[in-house]
Amino acid sequence: MFGDGVVYTLLFISLYFEVFLLVTFLEKRAGRTATVPVKNPSSKLPSVCIVVPCFNEENTLALTMQSIFALRYPRDLLETIIVDDGSTDGTLAVAKKFERNGVRVLQKENGGKFTALNLALENSDAEIIGCLDADSTVGENALRRAVAVFENPDIAAVTPGVHVRKPKTALQHIQNAEYALSVFNRFMFAALGSVFITPGAFSIYRAKTIRDLGGWRHGHSTEDMELALRMQENGHKIANAPTAAVFTAAPRTIAGLFHQRVRWTYGFLRNLSDYKFMFANRAYGNLGLFILPFALISIGTGIYFFMRVLWYGFENIYDLIARIEITGIAPHPSFDLFYFNTSAMLMISIVTIALVLALISAGSWLGTGRRMPPVGTPLFILLYGLLVPLWISTALFRAVFKTGVRWR
Amino acid sequence: MNSPIIGARAAQFKNYGIAFVITAAIFATALYASNYFNDRRIAEIRTTQDNISIDILSLETQFELLAEHSCKDISENSVLSKEIRPLADRLSYLENQTSVDEEELLRLKRYYSLLQIKDLLLMKKVASKCKLKSVFILYFYSNEGDCKDCENQGYVLTALSEKYPQLRIYSFDYNLDLSALQTLLSISDVENKLPALSINDKIYYGFKGVDDIEKILPQLATLDKTATSTKSSSR
Repeated sequence: MFGDGVVYTLLFISLYFEVFLLVTFLEKRAGRTATVPVKNPSSKLPSVCIVVPCFNEENTLALTMQSIFALRYPRDLLETIIVDDGSTDGTLAVAKKFERNGVRVLQKENGGKFTALNLALENSDAEIIGCLDADSTVGENALRRAVAVFENPDIAAVTPGVHVRKPKTALQHIQNAEYALSVFNRFMFAALGSVFITPGAFSIYRAKTIRDLGGWRHGHSTEDMELALRMQENGHKIANAPTAAVFTAAPRTIAGLFHQRVRWTYGFLRNLSDYKFMFANRAYGNLGLFILPFALISIGTGIYFFMRVLWYGFENIYDLIARIEITGIAPHPSFDLFYFNTSAMLMISIVTIALVLALISAGSWLGTGRRMPPVGTPLFILLYGLLVPLWISTALFRAVFKTGVRWR
Repeated sequence: MNSPIIGARAAQFKNYGIAFVITAAIFATALYASNYFNDRRIAEIRTTQDNISIDILSLETQFELLAEHSCKDISENSVLSKEIRPLADRLSYLENQTSVDEEELLRLKRYYSLLQIKDLLLMKKVASKCKLKSVFILYFYSNEGDCKDCENQGYVLTALSEKYPQLRIYSFDYNLDLSALQTLLSISDVENKLPALSINDKIYYGFKGVDDIEKILPQLATLDKTATSTKSSSR
């Protein structure tokens, strides 16, 4: 009974979170003219610096650069800086080839992504500075759409709509569905003034704000989260432009995904620890009262449900084997409607999953204009919950013992 | 949806409240629906039990009417053989459901046990009068956590009843508060050492596998053949 109580409580919290986002989404949609800044085509465009920090990116850098060259933005207002963060492969040689296109190439000893970004910040006078990871490409209208947000002088940063670049494997399709959900979440977090990650893939900042805040920090290998939390701490607003599309290379293998997510989750937990004063703090509004506490609870929820599924799964298999051993007969499944599972727990789980599907569809619509969810959505719903606890538990263990994580 | 949104950070308590009401409504609906379906199941079991009760009464009457005549018109399998096992499985399933009215379920279990005892007595009478080779197994179990082998014994008996459809197995919760059952336990001299099986009026304590029961009841094989031949001849 205690276990059921825990399950119902966690289901209630999960469902409540989804319903809250959906209610807020519908409300914002209904009254969006009041909150959306009006685009003024006659206003002067700001100067922009796109920074591409690189560490051993010789294979992907060219594609990233081509997408920057294709950006629809006045050339005289767009500066591109490649920072080679002590690569040991041919990255620098590839980067140098772009100097003829007006790209500046800076080289330094390896010190981590945040040091590369800070070096570019020191060497640029642009009003707006953006980061584009060298494994990502950007849509041609993304910069115009993101920069338009800065017409509102209160806004210090804007996050894009991140998508998986040309998903091929099943795992990449699963991540594509997950990214569609993230598009929705990021959009809603911005609507709630609660963005706590400005992803490395093409988040754009007001350069003065970053300088005033002292630049990027290590942030436990998640400098994008640390900076966003620091901006929130200092009362800066972070917006979201879901149609500012950026496409990132998602891991093709479980091992690659595991490594990436352990780093993300580890950074999340360590940064949450550093910024724990925000928890349940009304001064930080929705972020402190709702978003951050729920984000933390969702980690516990993922682990609990995973352990429960494992426990009951193994118990059922053990019972089945014991039964076959004892009787010599495998029990046949019953198709009697009497045994059709109509437990409240199952019904609530189905509603929760249906809402996840609705949120993914909403994310897909926000980011791409397509109402259909990505093709990987069924796999995402079926398998993702089994994958997440793998890296959550590892990251939790490492965060408790402060082991640190490597980028690669 | 090209325009980005930036919202106020201040907590929107109105939306928190609306979301809470909606979530609570979803929960309440799910709980109500689950209870509704369980009530339907209980109603279904009650109907089945009523039908069985009518069948028993009918067979008793039939038996008395035909007592002076031939046994051939009394079908050995006319009452519980088809319905009793699904009924037991269904009651067992409901016992594992959380949102079932426990008092109602207990009432159904008592009713079910009473029907089993009535069927047992009637079938013994029919078997004796008509010289049928019926085999009866009475199984006594406990689901109060004090019988670690009871679950496995239940699996064995389920397997046996599937293997030998003519076999009559009656299962009783040793701790059920039913005077008729307590009388049956008393006259059968069943002690609280569960699981316990009463086979041909002899009590066996502890877990018994399929092989053990087949050794105790060598006539099972014949019973199986009898069943087959009965079906063949009735066509």
